[in-house]
Parts: sequence; structure tokens; C-alpha cells
Amino acid sequence: MLKRLVRWSRIKSPWILHLNSGACNACDIEVIAALTPRFDVERLGVLLKATPRHADVLVCSGPVTRQMKDRIIRIYEQTPDPKFVVAVGACAMSGCVYRGAYNIMGGIDQVIPVDVYVPGCPARPDAIIGSVVKLLGKL
Amino acid sequence: MKFQIPIGPQHPALKEPISLRMTVEGEVIRDADLRLGYNHRGIEKLAEERTYLQNIYLTERICGICSHSHTTCFVQGVEALLEVVAPRRGQFLRYLVAELERVHSHLLWLGVAGHEAGFDSFFMYTWRDREVVMDILEMISGNRVHYAINTLGGVRRDIDEALRTKILDSLGILRARTDYYFKLGANEPSFVGRLAGVGRLSKEDALALCAVGPTARASGVAHDVRRDDPYGIYGEIPFEVCTADSCDVLGRTVVRIKELGQSYNIIEYLLRNLPDGPVAVKAPRRAKPGEVVSRYEAPRGENIHYIKANGSDKPERLKVRAPTLANYAATLAMLKNGFIADIPLIFAAIDPCICCAERTVELIDGRSGRPSQVRWSELRRMAARRAGRVSKKRNMEWPL
Amino acid sequence: MNDLERIERIKAVLGERAAEITNPSPQRIFLTVPARTLVPALEQLKTELGYRHLSTISGVDLGDVFEILYHFGYDGGNLNIRTQIPKADPRLPSICAVIPGAVLYERELQDMFGIIVEAIPDGRRLVLPDDWPDGNYPLRKDWKHVRAAEKIPGGKS
Repeated sequence: MLKRLVRWSRIKSPWILHLNSGACNACDIEVIAALTPRFDVERLGVLLKATPRHADVLVCSGPVTRQMKDRIIRIYEQTPDPKFVVAVGACAMSGCVYRGAYNIMGGIDQVIPVDVYVPGCPARPDAIIGSVVKLLGKL
Repeated sequence: MKFQIPIGPQHPALKEPISLRMTVEGEVIRDADLRLGYNHRGIEKLAEERTYLQNIYLTERICGICSHSHTTCFVQGVEALLEVVAPRRGQFLRYLVAELERVHSHLLWLGVAGHEAGFDSFFMYTWRDREVVMDILEMISGNRVHYAINTLGGVRRDIDEALRTKILDSLGILRARTDYYFKLGANEPSFVGRLAGVGRLSKEDALALCAVGPTARASGVAHDVRRDDPYGIYGEIPFEVCTADSCDVLGRTVVRIKELGQSYNIIEYLLRNLPDGPVAVKAPRRAKPGEVVSRYEAPRGENIHYIKANGSDKPERLKVRAPTLANYAATLAMLKNGFIADIPLIFAAIDPCICCAERTVELIDGRSGRPSQVRWSELRRMAARRAGRVSKKRNMEWPL
Repeated sequence: MNDLERIERIKAVLGERAAEITNPSPQRIFLTVPARTLVPALEQLKTELGYRHLSTISGVDLGDVFEILYHFGYDGGNLNIRTQIPKADPRLPSICAVIPGAVLYERELQDMFGIIVEAIPDGRRLVLPDDWPDGNYPLRKDWKHVRAAEKIPGGKS
């Protein structure tokens, strides 16, 4: 009974943490644009939180730079279970134009396990909202 | 008793990673220091292995907010090396998109400044108006960000008469809203009280530390590459360089709002005088050996690209200096003798584009070396509480 | 003041220290200065002619020499001062005493090329990560990067 309530609240109100690991910012402003009045994810219950300890979903963008690798792992471990990772943009999926650079490891999935990939350069806010909905459908 | 605070790389509010380290005595910052590298992607090395045409797409992704400024700066330089001149209609369209990008970037910044000052409604309003500009850019180029409209020899897409009238109509809406923001920014006492006097950068410091863009112009330094070193067709477009004398974050806000007004005038001039003709000419693939320096006024300041060619179709060396890097030395000067609670606002005031992600501020006790965590949002709340004691909010009317 | 007048004034101030001045395109002046006399030349240009806004410092790897360019902006165009140092002994005097805003650009030169900037006020690493092995200077032409094999989640590799 309690489990159903918890599962319902997780689906109805996922809190996200936005993590940028060396991106060009385009996907980040599209994530923030998803909060603004035109797209407005807050009506779906999604809140942008300040700290990993409050988050359910980690929204990551950017190719992983060497310097950020340890920090990403630390933030992933700070997020309490159950957690989900959304990789936004072509950079987070595979590195986009930066593949082969000396300071880049590749996509986010080289460092932490990813649940949903959102393609695009940058991914549109509609696509980001759609991906969060798809993720919640899997729960 | 001095503490050392590292402000590490991951910020709850917005954008990219950077690490600042501050030495603090009580609430006052005595010394500041920064560590870059979280966002270093090795673009200059990658550019040497790609042709000039492929490099347009690489330079676009140096930054998402001012992507067109990097491609235009690069293409201007390469066109000089290849000895082609883009046709007039192509140039007009290129700089039309450039001014639209300046509008979208300044509206974005106004929202960020509002958010850092605690004024979230302002953030929502400006980003809603920014969507008008995003729609126009999408109609011109097909994408909201990373327009990919530049090519060697001109632009890739043309606009027709219907789109031209639509942009002119939207300018009316944007002008009305910007006037409202100016009235708000200049007259709302709690907002002004939060921004005034924060992040002082005197004129001598701005000149000595080579600050660029609205950060320098708010200290009375009237440097603007569009007027000092005119590129493209800026030699014939009438506009003014906007400066302010207050040397603080309020001055930077006022400069950016005034620049919005100037950009609307430039867009209107470009649309009313749009010449007919082709939008691009065919450009050769190989560049003769030589070098070129290309400068451009991005929304954040002066953007400079140095390109060296060696006779093949790949550049020998591409050096990019984005404007925020030039403002870092000035930021460190601004942070000295400021308050901890002002750090988000001072950092947001230079409109950081190369890096700035989340910052949890970690306090390290100077004597024992023990760390403790303070959140960025905590800092913002401290700031709002301190500002709340300063002035009272008037009854505002909401005409929009 | 147009380009030719500027060139005359620079020649008058620097004398024979200016090895070669060219004006390849409008609003662009290139000037070559030997590395030992770099700091006094920049001091003179700043105090007597007013060139004080440094845009950036570029380094180019030309094989056996490094060519360093200092880009100055002025009202009307762009002045670029070129100097060369041998790769075998890459030492460059710091200009931070003349132009305080140059420190970040010099730190970047140190990281990317392995150039040793003498008398730099703050010589720490700027852009490369903390765990970057010493002795690897990415922008040198003979440094190549070999990418590690990527693991693709889902099994296929």
C-alpha cells in the first residue's frame, strides 16, 4: 500500500538536478527554457533542485572532460536511490563534434549508467520533456 | 581569522563548471583565485585536423549562447584568407542574425541577473519574451540555437518578404517589453538596492586588466569593436556605444538594456535597407599561406580569432579567445572586499559564458582544515535577507 | 590617424628595435620584435603611444621555433607584435609588469606549449586537468593523442 503511494509520488513529481560536464551551454539553456512559461515543466511536477541529495533524476549534458570525471562520479553517488540519469544532447550521448579530443572521454555513459538518451544539438525543450515522460512511463 | 572557501564545479542555478577559491575573513572576501579546465575540450587541436568548412561547425559549438559570434568571427577571417567577399545581401543577413543573437543573449542575461538577485518573476518574464526571438531565429535558420547559417562566402538561407514583415512586427512587441524592463530595473527600489554598489570595478582597473564588453562599458570605458575596428558592414550602420558610469552591477544591467534598444534599431535598419541579390558566392577550398586576425563584438565582449593558413585546406593554427576569459582578471578584482553573499551576482554580472556551473561553496576552516558545505541557494537566501532590510518594496502595477 | 601615419609613429618611437613592420590589410599592422627587447618595447608603446588593450597572446609551433603574437586593439584597428623563441630553449619574458591583464594568457601558453614564462606573477596550471601527466604539451605539432577504446553499454564493442 505504502509502496504504491511512494511509486505514485515518484511518478507525479520527479525532482531534477542539472549537471553540466563541459558542454557548450546550448543544451543547458534548453533545459532551463523547459522551466520557463512557454514549456513549463513545473505543471508536471518537475522542480529544479540545487543539490544532488534532493534529486530523483540527474539531467546531464556535455561530453565528459577529464577534470569533471571524478566530480560526476561523486555527484552520482551522492544522489539517493532510486535514481535515473538522462543524457541530453549529442555531446552527452557520444561526444558530438569533440570526439577524439585529448581531454574528452566521450559520452556520459562512459562514466555513469544512463537510462534515457535525448538526441539533438541542442535537444529541444519539447524533446527533453518527452524524454522525462518516457522515463516516468518505465517506472 | 581567515578561511579559504573553494567554490567548486557544479552549480544548481545554471551553466558551466568553474572553480573559484576565496580567502574569507568573516563575511568579507579578501582574496580570490580561480581554476579553469573543467570545460576545456581541446578545440584548437581539433581544428587543425578539420577543413575550413568543417571548422565552421566546430567553432559554432564553442558556446551555445553566442554560437553565431564564433562562426562569424571565424568566417570573416577565412574569407579574408581565401580572398572572397560575401555579397551584400548575404552580409546583411549575417549581421541581422548577429543582432538577433545579441538580443536573445541580453534577455537571457537579464533573466539570470533577476534570478541571482532573487527576482524570479523577472526571470520568467524575460525568458518568455526571449521565446519571441527564438521563434524568429527558428524561422530564419531552422534551429533555436546553433543556427549554422554561415558558410564560406555568405549565408546558407534567404528570407522572403513575409518573414521580413513578421520580424519588423515582432520588434514592436520587443520594444514595448524592453521599455517595461528598463522602468522596472531603474525604479524598483529593492532590485536597485540589491544591485547598486556591488562588484565595483574602477575605470583604471578596467583598462589595466583589459576588460571587455558590457563589464568594461559599465565602468565608463567606451570600447566596442563595432565602432573601433568595424568589420563587415558596421561601418555604414548608425548606432551608439552604450556606457554607464556607476562601475557596478547596476551599471552593467543598464548598459545591457540600452544595448537592446540599439540592437532593435540596427535590426530595423538592416531590414528596411535589405538589398537584392545572391546570398553567397562560391569559395575556393584551399587558402594561400598567410595569417589573419578577426575581431567581433559578441554579446559578452570582444571575440578574437587568429587563423594561420599553410596552403592546404586545413588551418595551420586556430586561436580563439572568447570574451569571458578576458573578464576573469577583472572579476577577481571585483570580488576583493565584497561579501560572500554577493558572489553569485558578481559572477553572473560578467555574463560568464566559458564556464560557470554549479558551485557548492565549501568552507575550509583556516586553522584546522575542516571542510563544511554551504549551498549556492543558501548564499542567495542570505543575500535576499540582507537586501530585504535595506529598502521596502512599493506597490507595483502589472500592466503586462 | 590612418595606418601609414601609425606606422610612422611606431617607427619613430621604437627606432631600430622594430625589425619589420607590415600592413597586409586595412586596420591591421604586424610588427616583429626580438624577444630580449620585448618588454621595453611594449613599455614604450604603452606609455608613449597608448597601446594598452591586450586582446590575447597566441602561440604557434613552427617546427624549431615558437612564434608568439601579442594582439593589441586600438581605436581604429589591431596591432600585432610578433616574436620568436627557439623550441630547444623556450623562455619568454613576462609582460605582466607592463600589462597586468596578460597573466591568464601567459599561463595558457605555459600549459599548451611548455613555454617557460620568466617572472610570471602566478605560474600555476590554467586549463589542463589536475591529473594531466607532465611533459605533455597538447598544442605542439609533434604531440599526437591516441584515443582509448570506448566501452559501449549494451554489450557491443
